[in-house]
Amino acid sequence: MPPLERVTVFCFAASYGLALVAELARLLQPRLILRVLSMVLGTAGLFAHFIYLVVHAPSLASSSGSMLFLAFVLAVFWLYGSLHHAKVAWGVFVLPLVLGLIGLGLIAPGRPGGDEPFWASARGPKFWGMTHGLLIFLAAVGICIGFLASVMYFVQIYRLRSKTMPGQGLKMLSLERLERMNRRAILWAFPLLTLGLIVGLGVSIQLGELSQGWRSPKILSALGLWVVFAILIYLRYGAHIRPRRVALMTIVAFAVLLLALGTAHPFLDEGAP
Amino acid sequence: MNLLLAGCSFKTTPIELREKLAFDAARLPLALRELDSRYDVEAVILSTCNRVEMYLARPNAIGLPDIDLLAEFLAEFQKLPVEQVRSCLYERKQADAIRHLFRVTSSLDSLIVGEGQIAGQVRRGYELAKEQATAGPLLHSLFQQASAVAKRVRTETGISRGHVSVSSVAVDYVRQVFDHFGDKTILVIGAGKMGELTLRHLKDLRPKKILVTNRSPEKAVAVAQGCGGVAVPWAELDDALVVADIVLSTTGAPEPIMVRRRFNDILARRSGGAMLILDIAVPRDFDPRIHDGDRACIFNIDDLQRIREQTLAERQKHVTPAESIIEAEVLRFQSDWTRRRNGPIIGKLTQEFEARRKVIVTQLMAKLNGKLDMADKEYIEGAFRLLQNQLLHGPITALTEEQHDPTSLSLREALFKLFRLGE
Repeated sequence: MPPLERVTVFCFAASYGLALVAELARLLQPRLILRVLSMVLGTAGLFAHFIYLVVHAPSLASSSGSMLFLAFVLAVFWLYGSLHHAKVAWGVFVLPLVLGLIGLGLIAPGRPGGDEPFWASARGPKFWGMTHGLLIFLAAVGICIGFLASVMYFVQIYRLRSKTMPGQGLKMLSLERLERMNRRAILWAFPLLTLGLIVGLGVSIQLGELSQGWRSPKILSALGLWVVFAILIYLRYGAHIRPRRVALMTIVAFAVLLLALGTAHPFLDEGAP
Repeated sequence: MNLLLAGCSFKTTPIELREKLAFDAARLPLALRELDSRYDVEAVILSTCNRVEMYLARPNAIGLPDIDLLAEFLAEFQKLPVEQVRSCLYERKQADAIRHLFRVTSSLDSLIVGEGQIAGQVRRGYELAKEQATAGPLLHSLFQQASAVAKRVRTETGISRGHVSVSSVAVDYVRQVFDHFGDKTILVIGAGKMGELTLRHLKDLRPKKILVTNRSPEKAVAVAQGCGGVAVPWAELDDALVVADIVLSTTGAPEPIMVRRRFNDILARRSGGAMLILDIAVPRDFDPRIHDGDRACIFNIDDLQRIREQTLAERQKHVTPAESIIEAEVLRFQSDWTRRRNGPIIGKLTQEFEARRKVIVTQLMAKLNGKLDMADKEYIEGAFRLLQNQLLHGPITALTEEQHDPTSLSLREALFKLFRLGE
């Protein structure tokens, strides 16, 4: 077996896990060595993750594959955040989500990857199916980032409410920054989601899937996600509700996303011609 | 090495006397030159509001003026009774003086442990002595190492972590809520003295606008002019709160000026993000139930004081590791200085023995010429080299251990005489 093919999900999950342990240890002992350790382990995990995705080319059309791709993008987000916000307990929030998505990817229904990576087949009529999938995938990244910002927002609110000493315990971004991150993630995700669903609708009409009924889990979960997002956008910009409620709704949107991914909505529709 | 420190600090001397003993900037150079000319010593004076200390040194073994002489000097210079000055002076010698300076520079001996000003004050004291040419080789090395030690203590321990002034702690809280200030409005309510320093810190954040309101319009205008803000009539307080992001409240009102119901009406009119309220008035101006950590965060004077105390308590945990660093650095300084000072004599001693050994070995080889094979020759040379090393081991060890024994001041001179090194 070629050496690169020996890279398994366990390799990068273990690296991320150890990076998380180093991050948690930093909370108790803020030592530079622990930060370096966390960065090295996490980056090694990211590298192994990348190799795994390239070599094994899991199908984005499967729940399992889509979770692994999403986890990879979030791991990149972790690296970016760790480099830019060295003093913030970034990994404590992002790495559990990365690990959680990898875990869900392992238990979710899988579909073997093709001989060639999914992007290699982006030709002819399959193009629209892939466009639909990529748009939804990017929207999912936005939802995940919004979710992380919301969780951090709640932690920061808790710290402020309990008047925790600045610099003690979890070091967080400011409330304003987290709210802005959440807002940008939502604003990024919603148009992508809408566009992705419109393209998906077109593909479904072309394939005659709609004639089989609107009540398929795939369509219902996608529509459910869109409705949650539409409410979220309205509450944020139309009703000017408290940022805390927006954060709560973002967490709900993330839960619906997981449901959609885990049950019936792969990013790429392999049924597309 | 001959090093002496004589001085007084807030621990031994009341402020009334410290004020009189402190050297003002204009007379400090004069005092340094006077010490130099009167006692022919290297001198650095550290004069701050919390301490006055004179560091005197001579790199050789000649004695330094004793504490009574220095008390006389200080009394004469500051025109005070000698007895009064002598009673408050402490002295430290040799390693104790080094340790004391390292502790002072690292802020372990400060009123507020871990404060950052003292290192700069020590550096300025040393630089002035450099300018006046009263700092010689020993004090150059000592003060340079003191700065390095303070930096090491600061970076390797958490001794200076966190803020301890109420106004700095307030700004720390502001940064927990906001991260950029160019679009923020600060509202100052009241014109209390307590708020002045905090307002100065907040102004450093460069907010978009500062609004000032007070029951007395004249006072509001005066404060607004002082901070480059805009005065707002007291009757428009609620409107100002609707647009404010950061509120600094310092009124002397006997009862809260903002109760929950009134504030809820203000919140309903706001469209922006969270509001941070620094209520440093006593009694408090804002109903504490307003604080929800989301839309309104209130921090009152007790919260800020509590954080200050927590920070100080946290810093105390780092004192022991800092003391360990200082102890190691004291030993390092002593051995470095001894090596530096005794390096030439050790070199000379070794050269002298080396030369004599070579002469004797050459004579011996000439006498035994033809009777020895190569192995014998090497063995004899090795034996003489071993003998030389064993003979030198004692004197060299004594020289390197000189730092631990201040009584062995004439060891260098003794070695020169015993081994005729000067000839």
